[in-house]
Amino acid sequence: MSTAAAPNYELIQQDGLETNLLEVSMGPHHPSTHGVFRMDVKLDGETVVDLRPVFGYLHRNHEKLAENMSYLSSMPFTDRLDYFNSMANNWAYALAAEKLIDVEVPERAEYLRVIMAELTRLVNHISLVGFFINDLGALGTPLLYAFREREKILDLFEQASGARMMCNYFRFGGLRNDVPEGWLDRAGEVVDRFPAFLDEYEQLLCENEIILSRTQGVGNLPRELAISAGVTGPMLRASGMAYDLRKVDQYGIYDRFKFRVPYTDGDTGDCYDRFMIRMLEMRESIEILKQALAGIPEGEIMGNAPRVFKPKPAESYGRIEGPKGELGFYLIADGSPKPYRYRVRPPSLINLTVLRDMCLGGKIADAVIILGSIDIVLGEVDR
Amino acid sequence: MTILGGGIFKGMAVTLRNFVGSYINKKERLPTNDYSWRPDGDLPQGIGDYPKEEGEQLSDTTTVTEYSRNFPMLLHDGGEPMDTVRCVACQICERECPPQCIYIEKDYDENGKYIKRPAVFDIDVSVCMSCQICVEVCPFDAIVMNSQFELSTPDRFGGLLVRRDDLLKSNDYYHQIHPEEAAARDQKMAVEKAAKEAKKKAAAEKARAAAEKKAVEAAKEEAK
Amino acid sequence: MSLELLIATVPLMLIFATLFAFTTWLERKALARIQNRIGPNKVGIPCTRIGLFGLGQPAADGIKMIFKENIVPRGADRLFHLLAPILALIPSMLVLCFLPLDFPWLNENSVKAFLLDGAVIFFFAITGLNTLAVFMAGWASRNKYSLLGGMRAVAQMVSYEIPLVLSAVIVVMMVGSLNAAEIAKAQTGGDWFVFSPWGFAAFVIFFIAALAETNRSPFDLPEAESEIIAGYFTEYSGFKFALFFLAEYIAMFAISGLAVTLFLGGGDGPGLAVLPWLSVIWFLAKIFALIAVMIWLRGTLPRLRVDQLMGFAWKFMLPLSILNIFVAGFAWHAEQLDNTFITVITWVISLAILYSAASGLNQLNRGKVRPREYKYAE
Repeated sequence: MSTAAAPNYELIQQDGLETNLLEVSMGPHHPSTHGVFRMDVKLDGETVVDLRPVFGYLHRNHEKLAENMSYLSSMPFTDRLDYFNSMANNWAYALAAEKLIDVEVPERAEYLRVIMAELTRLVNHISLVGFFINDLGALGTPLLYAFREREKILDLFEQASGARMMCNYFRFGGLRNDVPEGWLDRAGEVVDRFPAFLDEYEQLLCENEIILSRTQGVGNLPRELAISAGVTGPMLRASGMAYDLRKVDQYGIYDRFKFRVPYTDGDTGDCYDRFMIRMLEMRESIEILKQALAGIPEGEIMGNAPRVFKPKPAESYGRIEGPKGELGFYLIADGSPKPYRYRVRPPSLINLTVLRDMCLGGKIADAVIILGSIDIVLGEVDR
Repeated sequence: MTILGGGIFKGMAVTLRNFVGSYINKKERLPTNDYSWRPDGDLPQGIGDYPKEEGEQLSDTTTVTEYSRNFPMLLHDGGEPMDTVRCVACQICERECPPQCIYIEKDYDENGKYIKRPAVFDIDVSVCMSCQICVEVCPFDAIVMNSQFELSTPDRFGGLLVRRDDLLKSNDYYHQIHPEEAAARDQKMAVEKAAKEAKKKAAAEKARAAAEKKAVEAAKEEAK
Repeated sequence: MSLELLIATVPLMLIFATLFAFTTWLERKALARIQNRIGPNKVGIPCTRIGLFGLGQPAADGIKMIFKENIVPRGADRLFHLLAPILALIPSMLVLCFLPLDFPWLNENSVKAFLLDGAVIFFFAITGLNTLAVFMAGWASRNKYSLLGGMRAVAQMVSYEIPLVLSAVIVVMMVGSLNAAEIAKAQTGGDWFVFSPWGFAAFVIFFIAALAETNRSPFDLPEAESEIIAGYFTEYSGFKFALFFLAEYIAMFAISGLAVTLFLGGGDGPGLAVLPWLSVIWFLAKIFALIAVMIWLRGTLPRLRVDQLMGFAWKFMLPLSILNIFVAGFAWHAEQLDNTFITVITWVISLAILYSAASGLNQLNRGKVRPREYKYAE
């Protein structure tokens, strides 16, 4: 949480009128808070004076559960962390576990991993943009357009792994099964039609005066505050810092693809920047997908992982550039089939710590929009 | 000369295009009515599927895609199910199941000896999350994923606990719903069986050779 | 006298009630098609499985609302809780009488009752009662969020009434009479007010203010606030809610009717010499065109924030409508001279003035927001 002190007053004197602050709990049951999340706001008329986020309503003991199960059995639970990007969560966990044992992932599996991760990024960003505009009050039209495209990608996931959202597709050393025949062509079709949809979406939204005036200047996040709070992902790039783990760590085979990383020109970012950065990132994901689909080789999809996963005592941290930020898994192994400690670095939670600083001084209507632009998923915040 | 409110007009053009497109270009602009994945032609395929009539539920062959998975089933190789069931009640799937929805009890005969079949094999499908871990860890290819999802029942107490006899399905049914996977599994089992036979034969050969050698040496000893 | 009154009023109310039901169905289907889905399509003929494109849906909704339990919060003012929806409905229905619809079964004598000389002023006076009804609803709910929502709604409706009235003043100035039938008659022959620059600007201002008066998107802050307040009719259930709904739609019809009368020529259209009662059809068709545009806007635009909404009314629409009055007056004087050349010059000058005023005000209020460019890193 930020350490800036809120103006500490209960009664406000203004021209001889005394008014109290109004305390509102935008409670867990709310149509606009993206899950069971509560914000206790103190209002002075329309202006937000103090804001206290309360979460934990979706805590499911994920980290403790993993200490009682084998490494493979907690892979389906990682799907359910950030339930929009199940493939990305799987990959981060597989990366962390593969660092504990010595296994090489085959080429085809690496290419397929990149394809699945970028498709997940498309799914996540399109859903976020849809929900963001829905919070602005557009009665669901952009949201339903976004979901129409998301359905196509979810159909692809279902054909590859058997389930639309909880894919459980990655294994230590490769993937569970190869994609069926014709999947690569179908994926190519979806990817080819996506830029036309993005153009239509931009035409609907990006010059709309109402959206411009409601999102520009709202929720300013200076770059220094973002860096010191540990914010990562599109939020950090919207605040003017060009930092993307795909370029820094170059995990997997990302060094073979040519793509750009959009970021803001300046050193603060507002809601409009975050929204536009995500739209631009989708276009870059399509570039990566085209290159990956063109260059994927034939081959095996599973390396030589041991049948029983019993790593020697060691610790590892595996991180990826998830669609929401840096998603990391920290594992401590102690020689038994179950991990000694299993910790998730949730990007949504760490991005949420700057909510208060962004909302203070704005209006109550803006608090909802700012929360929407941070892109949280409560499954990840509460684990 | 920019039009005032130009962004709004562009947005309205997009909505109009979608409105008109939902009448003339249904594949692209009205995808909610696409039931083409349903393989069975008898099932109602148009608008107005639900509520179903009595007897329309519980279709046995609702497969969606090649790898689609809903809830597990136990395989047997034809004939009387409990004679050819592949499961030996080793309880590995019970241990590895993440939400712990499987309950197994071994079967013992009259003398108390463990025979290799399950007496009780219950799966609580209200807990099962279709993660397929049980399928992956089973060493005997005995449990695979069914794709029947219309299991709803009005009985709240035990209606969703599927027992052993309901879980048993034949290998032919498995070939019907997931042909490639079933064929791959059969081939793997045949290869493993052949390898095991070969190893047994080699071991028997070696034992026979060792026994022969011993007999020759014993005869030599006697002769001395 | 009373029988003639009944013959005049009852069909009008029945027609508009049926049109209300049809409009709710139309809105749901049109919004659904915009959003790539079909709307209601299962409720058709009762007791069969024939869904007649969902045309039975309004009836089913009405029956459902009648049978719901009538909940009044404890400590709330029961009398005002009951009166508020009735007070919302009565002005809208009352105002419908003054629309210049020449139904064929009305002869000159009975229709005289409705030809009020000050119809336009009567209209604005009576629709002011809607504001009172909204505030009554917010107060009687004994819920501080409803009260806040009600107050915001009142502020919105009051501040948008001024551009509404000022743009109607232009038409009254040009015609010289407040009588709705005379205004409609002055536009026969395709000479509608919307086809002149000041009339067009006045029509646009009137339409936007009408959206705000009836609490439609993008000004639907009072009713669909997803932020903290669920609006001034949170505490209403069952039939009272249905009455609010009915009042909103009838108000939409009424204001669209006034817009058609003032700007779009009333019942004017081709084929009137042959069949005189075709004017009713044209009138209703034009009302439906305006309502279709309202539904279209609802499906496309997000909501304005409350301070932006008020800023838009006071800092943009009000100066523009005052300027429009001056321009229209100048044009009227120019038209008295009856010279084509001067008329053309007047049109060009008024176009230039109005356009530059609108851009200037837009720049002043909202000059800083524009689409931005971003950098890329390799």
